[in-house]
Amino acid sequence: MVSSKELKLAYGLAIILFIVGFLSYAAFSSKAPLQPVRIMFQGVAGKVLFDHQTHLGVSGYGIACIDCHHELEDDETATPESCSACHEAESEEEDTPNRTDALHNQCIGCHQDFEAGPTECAFCHIM
Amino acid sequence: MNSQKKFIVSHAPFQHNGSSIEQRSYNIILATLPAILLGLFHYGAPALGVICLSISSAIFWELAMNRISKRPITIGDGNSAMVGIIFAMLLPATTPWWAVITGTFVAIVIGKEIFGGIGSNAFNPAALSVLILILSWKNLFDFDQALLNYNFDFVAVYPLGALKHFGVDAIDTFNILDLFLGRQIGGIGSTFGLGLILGGGYLILRGFIRWEIPLSFLLGISITALLFNISEPARFVGPGFHLFTGYTLIGAFFLATEDSSSPVNTLPMLLYGLGGGIMTVLIRNIGVYIDGVLYAILVMNMVSPLLDKIRPKAIGKVV
Repeated sequence: MVSSKELKLAYGLAIILFIVGFLSYAAFSSKAPLQPVRIMFQGVAGKVLFDHQTHLGVSGYGIACIDCHHELEDDETATPESCSACHEAESEEEDTPNRTDALHNQCIGCHQDFEAGPTECAFCHIM
Repeated sequence: MNSQKKFIVSHAPFQHNGSSIEQRSYNIILATLPAILLGLFHYGAPALGVICLSISSAIFWELAMNRISKRPITIGDGNSAMVGIIFAMLLPATTPWWAVITGTFVAIVIGKEIFGGIGSNAFNPAALSVLILILSWKNLFDFDQALLNYNFDFVAVYPLGALKHFGVDAIDTFNILDLFLGRQIGGIGSTFGLGLILGGGYLILRGFIRWEIPLSFLLGISITALLFNISEPARFVGPGFHLFTGYTLIGAFFLATEDSSSPVNTLPMLLYGLGGGIMTVLIRNIGVYIDGVLYAILVMNMVSPLLDKIRPKAIGKVV
């Protein structure tokens, strides 16, 4: 038989933890940082996990923002945009390749230049 | 010659260590704390939110079911709080609030209350709930995607995911000691091997869970993983990796040992654990799913009543 003391403990737990849980969700909702740590590209050939921080960081590959975010060539002081801001999933424009082509050119091109990193589809794409 | 103690019959094979259900529930909650503390350290306030909301909503669901079914209020036994905390341990820290509340609904109402409440559930409520959530929203449990915005000082890729998608070569970057010490991504309370073993050890020493199930479960995983590894090392990883990744340790100590869904006799307990361990590695190595622990445990939960048919022969005979 459950005593009233234990019942009170359960009620207390439920109420206090609900308040703490509610506050945690309300105050610390996870927002994406301005400079992404990792990015998950969603594609029909499977998702690709891209470690932005490792490519960027001095302790990583130390690549400059402008090497990938080519829109900075026009204005070096601008904030780098997300690739999908210009490169749409479907695009007929010749100047702005669609997202898949843009990312493939960017990733594969750079890896080929440096003769490093993945060489097969399934080494990046989660199939 | 004519001893009065000639023939003694006792109930078999119940064990009683003198404690109550409430003590059992709160001791299990206590045993989860080492693993949860590291989760809080890694993931911060969002993880706290998931854990608190999970426990409180689990208690509320049980209270609601008690009221609706006009049965005595049972939340005082602490079982719903225990299910809530174990469920939260399996979740990524960024789980949205609606998924936590839906999950505890599935665990408490569908996993436990409709079977008749504590002691009557055929399946582990927390494991059942996570699997239903995975089947309903598979991206919720994609740990790589869920934890994108966290910056860790260790390899921030879900180890079992890396193994499944990119093969044995991709897991060279993981170090067994790091995995054991919880330096890996995963569920809030399911990655800290040392903490889970300490918690499980405490429960075994206090008699709240039986040693046969976790030991045989881990043995089943080790033997099967070793056999796979010996047969084809380029394709299958060794037992150390399987033991300290995914839901292995939380499954062994906190999920498989759940009282009403696991067997009570010694040999059935050993077979139950062993079967769960073997199936876990089979699913991980040649199955579709990344982690097999929850599926293996649910299947073994289903087999549990059959296993308990293996019991000592009754003394005497019916004339």
